[in-house]
Amino acid sequence: MSNSSGHSSRSTTHQTLIGVGALVAGAFLAWGARSLPAAIGYSGVGPAVLPWVMSAALLLCGGLLVWHAQRGGYRELEVGTGARRGDWCAMAWVSAGILANAALVTTAGFVLSCALCFTLAVRGLRMSEGKPAGGPRQVLVDAVTGFLIAAPAFWLFTKVLAINLPGLTATGWI
Amino acid sequence: MGDILTLLAGGFATAATPINLMWAFIGCALGTGIGVLPGLGPAVTVAMLLPITAQVEPTASMIFFAGIYYGAMYGGSTTSILLNTPGETGTMVTALEGFKMAKNGRAGAALATSAIGSFVAGTIATVLVTLFAPIVANYAVLLGPPEYFCLMLVAFTTVSAVLGKSRLRGLTALFIGISMGLVGIDQISGAARYTGGVPEFFDGIEVVLIAVGLFAVGETLYTALYEGKSESQMNAMGKVHMTRTEWRRSWPAWLRGTALGFPFGTIPAGGSEIPTFLSYATERKLSKFPDEFGTVGAIEGVAGPEAANNAAVTATLVPLLTLGIPTSVTTAILLSALQNYGINAGPQLFETSSGLVWALIASLYIGNVMLLVLNLPMVGLWVKLLTIPRPPLYAGILIFATVGVYGMRQSAFDLYLMWGVGLLGVLMRRFDFPTAPVIVGLILGPLAEAQLRNALSIGEGSWLVFVQRPMSAVLLAIVVAILLLPRFLSWRRAVRAR
Repeated sequence: MSNSSGHSSRSTTHQTLIGVGALVAGAFLAWGARSLPAAIGYSGVGPAVLPWVMSAALLLCGGLLVWHAQRGGYRELEVGTGARRGDWCAMAWVSAGILANAALVTTAGFVLSCALCFTLAVRGLRMSEGKPAGGPRQVLVDAVTGFLIAAPAFWLFTKVLAINLPGLTATGWI
Repeated sequence: MGDILTLLAGGFATAATPINLMWAFIGCALGTGIGVLPGLGPAVTVAMLLPITAQVEPTASMIFFAGIYYGAMYGGSTTSILLNTPGETGTMVTALEGFKMAKNGRAGAALATSAIGSFVAGTIATVLVTLFAPIVANYAVLLGPPEYFCLMLVAFTTVSAVLGKSRLRGLTALFIGISMGLVGIDQISGAARYTGGVPEFFDGIEVVLIAVGLFAVGETLYTALYEGKSESQMNAMGKVHMTRTEWRRSWPAWLRGTALGFPFGTIPAGGSEIPTFLSYATERKLSKFPDEFGTVGAIEGVAGPEAANNAAVTATLVPLLTLGIPTSVTTAILLSALQNYGINAGPQLFETSSGLVWALIASLYIGNVMLLVLNLPMVGLWVKLLTIPRPPLYAGILIFATVGVYGMRQSAFDLYLMWGVGLLGVLMRRFDFPTAPVIVGLILGPLAEAQLRNALSIGEGSWLVFVQRPMSAVLLAIVVAILLLPRFLSWRRAVRAR
């Protein structure tokens, strides 16, 4: 893979940061394990044992990942598909959709909240393809499309399968 | 033998009721659809639908989920043949020859051999499951906690160390999954672990959340970030038809593929990647037309791996149903569906939930026939799904992700968490970390911990209990071999080369 030199997953800094992430996770596990009782019952193995083992394992893996990153990069790495650099703007739109949904779903109801999520996410995904994001008209079309996916999904899951999803009104239709 | 036939007949009686036939049909159709569509796999689809376990009775939902699991394998091969991006990992090999065949105007023959091959392999494998699963279950009853714990260790190591390209990254993923499984109230002592006082964490982290976050949300974010400019070309579809020569070339490959796939599915060596590659290599070696491989596309190279894939997928039900040990992401999620019903998968399943198990097995026979019909004459319909543009497809997936994650326990907090797990999924995919070990670790981790503690109780606190019992000692040796043998071999090669 000679053409992958500028690929973001080949970067020493990025690879090191991933390894550091594993180290932090390991340290966090150790910090939490300190307050847990170690030995309980006949087995002598309490709730703290597995956390300590996992902490040690992640610290070891994180250390090795950092070491590999510093010495010639990860072993046998097949670089992720797609572009070499990320389209962070598109990613921000999709993330905004998911987070707005999380913030609004209980108050605005499933259908409207998901329609908003769809509208924001589809805009980001369209921009990632290099196509124009579109004006107010396109936004309206997207919102209606989102509504037409979310509403039947809502009825199917709440009425037929009796899964509890939040509505805006108590009518059970929206 | 007579016993098995009686039980199977009982299973057919349950599976063939109109309501269960309907669940099987919807499952097969939905499975084929999501198999064809990029971005969704069987595992994440079943995960999204886990909330229905609160309402639908166990037999119906297991038939439904198994239909999805099966259908996705049939649908995935359609995408591999027509599009140069394989839908499922198991069908990656199908794409090697299938895409070349389709490029040369033989898409119809490739689709036919893969659908019929899947049917043949699926049916033979189901017969083998019918015959062997009860026998394995009889032996499995004899296993104690130390053996179970060691079996789970074998599953952990194969899923993370054998399948991926890097043992280090596979094991890191596994440890992350097991660590996620630690969150919540400890089953044995009642101690709260890593909850940080957040009430949502006391019940632990839902499997739905991690699976949907890693796969559906991670995939959507990854697509927005990196795949926007990637073009995929689609091959034209021909008439789905095989000539006499193509039949003659296909059927030995189907049988060989089945013979390779089934054993690999039954041992905890996880998934169908290894048998499909082995089958491909075998067909390439045995073929009378070796020059067709890699050039115009050889039909054996589609027929063999497809059969191997389906046989392996069916065979993964053996360790799941008889030992309660999942060897792939989808079976891990099926296991958690059973857990939602309070059903413990394991050797006692054939005793305690005999009705469910045999209805499930019977539904596999029925599902295979349904899928053959859905995929041979109606393949043109499914191919239309491939024309859905990417942006609305992925944005729509987010809506269904919300249904699954929010529907599981009505918590908006879980939706924030889902986004975080999605980011983790992006990083893992970008830096080539396998995701299967995370899911298997998350589901199997707590079970393994319980077995470990039970085993040590038996050994009165002594860790020697694992080496004093012959069976568990052998299993431990296998784990060590899996982890160290590749390293030893490459070291010896290096020494020899000097």
